[in-house]
Amino acid sequence: MVADGLVVVVKRSCPTCQLVVPVLDELARGSEPISVYSQDDTTFVAGAIDDTDLEVSFDLDIDTVPTLLRVEAGKVSARTVGWLRPEWEELTGVRPLGATLPEWRPGCGSRTQDPEVQDARLVAAMAPRLRARHVELGEAEDEIEAMYARGWSDGLPLVPPTAERVARMLAGTTREPGDIVAVVPPDLVECTVEKVAINAVMAGCRPEYLPVVLAAVEAACTDEFNIHGVLATTWFAGPLVIVNGPIARAIGMNSGVNALGQGNRANATIGRALQLVVRNVGGGRPGEVDRATLGQPGKYTFCFAEDEAGSPWEPLHVERGLARETSAVTLFAAEGVRGVVDQLARTPEELARSFAACLRTVAHPKNVIVWDAVLVVSPEHARVFREGGWTKARLREELGALLQIPGEEIVRGAGGIAEGMPEGFRDFTLPKFRDGGLQIVHAGGGAGLFSAIIGGWASGAVGSEPVTQEVRT
Amino acid sequence: MHDTVNIEAAGIPMVFVASTEFVEAAEAQSRALGADPACVFVQHPIQDRTDDELRALADDALAALVAALSLQD
Amino acid sequence: MSNTITLLDPTSERDPATRERTARPTSLEGKVVGLLNISKPRGDVFLDRIEELLTQRGMQVERYSKPTFTKPAPADLRHEIAAKCDVVIEALAD
Repeated sequence: MVADGLVVVVKRSCPTCQLVVPVLDELARGSEPISVYSQDDTTFVAGAIDDTDLEVSFDLDIDTVPTLLRVEAGKVSARTVGWLRPEWEELTGVRPLGATLPEWRPGCGSRTQDPEVQDARLVAAMAPRLRARHVELGEAEDEIEAMYARGWSDGLPLVPPTAERVARMLAGTTREPGDIVAVVPPDLVECTVEKVAINAVMAGCRPEYLPVVLAAVEAACTDEFNIHGVLATTWFAGPLVIVNGPIARAIGMNSGVNALGQGNRANATIGRALQLVVRNVGGGRPGEVDRATLGQPGKYTFCFAEDEAGSPWEPLHVERGLARETSAVTLFAAEGVRGVVDQLARTPEELARSFAACLRTVAHPKNVIVWDAVLVVSPEHARVFREGGWTKARLREELGALLQIPGEEIVRGAGGIAEGMPEGFRDFTLPKFRDGGLQIVHAGGGAGLFSAIIGGWASGAVGSEPVTQEVRT
Repeated sequence: MHDTVNIEAAGIPMVFVASTEFVEAAEAQSRALGADPACVFVQHPIQDRTDDELRALADDALAALVAALSLQD
Repeated sequence: MSNTITLLDPTSERDPATRERTARPTSLEGKVVGLLNISKPRGDVFLDRIEELLTQRGMQVERYSKPTFTKPAPADLRHEIAAKCDVVIEALAD
């Protein structure tokens, strides 16, 4: 790319480059060919070649200016950075050189190292690998209104997915933009990493969240989770994403105060990105396939991290078979959050009884087995179990025992309530939850003797199973 | 054009009637708005036509207007 | 070069990228048709005749006028039209 002989790369905004201008002029008068490339302004050195697009600088791996190089048969055979007289004299073979200059001066950062330049390069490299259709907005269109008008929004404003933003988002994963992540119901569309990235941009995600979003999409689209069923049901359910492992802290997720609420960008946007993928790629929209009678606000976004450090128990993903240092998402078909107050229990037995009494009412006190739930135990409640020496398994066992319900209480018509279990169950004792139907996690702020129950949807063949998916970075 | 786009956005089918002089402007405005509003063009001129001529333009345009607003042919 | 913004399509791309027109009814029978006069001269003659023709065909017609043809219709007028009418004809630009 560059001519043989001496090559110097400079930029005007570097004082040392300005300092060596007389040296460059001296070398230009010498017998050896010299090419001077300027990264910004060519006028400060006579005969300088324009390298404002930094092609030569990148090609020669310039990180400092000035850099002096010797090129022989098209290859760099020697280089020195900054101004150091003995080195310049050695490399050029010209002595003395720059007699009026100080002995040495350090160089400056090359423009190739500027963050905007690095960013633009990333975007330019990614752009040809993007395959999504281009949607050109009208000149008179407001970009935010334009996205509403095209039906892309969940009701809240979106971040416009320009090629630059999508390229930056894709830097958050090592996966290829064209890789298929999942086949998304209801339209059964092959969804690429790129399409997830576009929706993640719109949701407001940062690039480092993308691996979590990808894992959530993969998990949601499994047959077991049955996102189609979750969407199409008249029940309240929407996907809840529980995040475990080191990634939660790495990307700044909230597992503490207000963990299930608003205010944390990662919590807010990861859940939203999944919802937008289902909506925009899969075609699952309210009033169309989504027929929820009432729905619930978690269908905008529902994502939090489990508080593992503060928990007395093993985290959810470890219970479900992964190593603690593996990051993972667990998808659960969730209705809204219900509070459980118990400010008086001193013993684990008492507190377990409170939990059981409240868990009994998931979906309906007379409906058993079919409905799943998540119990989110807050730190103050967890302390009761820690101090009582109860493992999670012990709590689970106790809840199972407390939630054994006589059939005669819950059959249809019992208690004057038509809803309930079929008559055939009258003579049996039934568990409120099926085996594996109740998940227990730990999250929340340090103050507050409240825990939460998040009811689920039906389990089994026509319902949804919780699914845990490893997060690959 | 703006009216058509706004009223269509509210879910009401709308058609805009303009003279043939307006064809290019309508296209440009539609592109600028990122939309494709229904438009029926009637033969220019308008201003110096008699009442009878204008009524004839209306008679001729009716079928196109109905077609733009319904699934009827 | 125009100042247009280009976005990447977040959808499955099975539908066209342009903003679609809103769904049309199967027929105009029994529908309320709004006629919006943009208030350029002579447009009223055209719309009077359209009103005659539609009324003959059994449709109910509501008449509206923009205060000026130089600006989009005010929000109040649009809301009134949207509340009362099933379909709208706006005329006559020249």
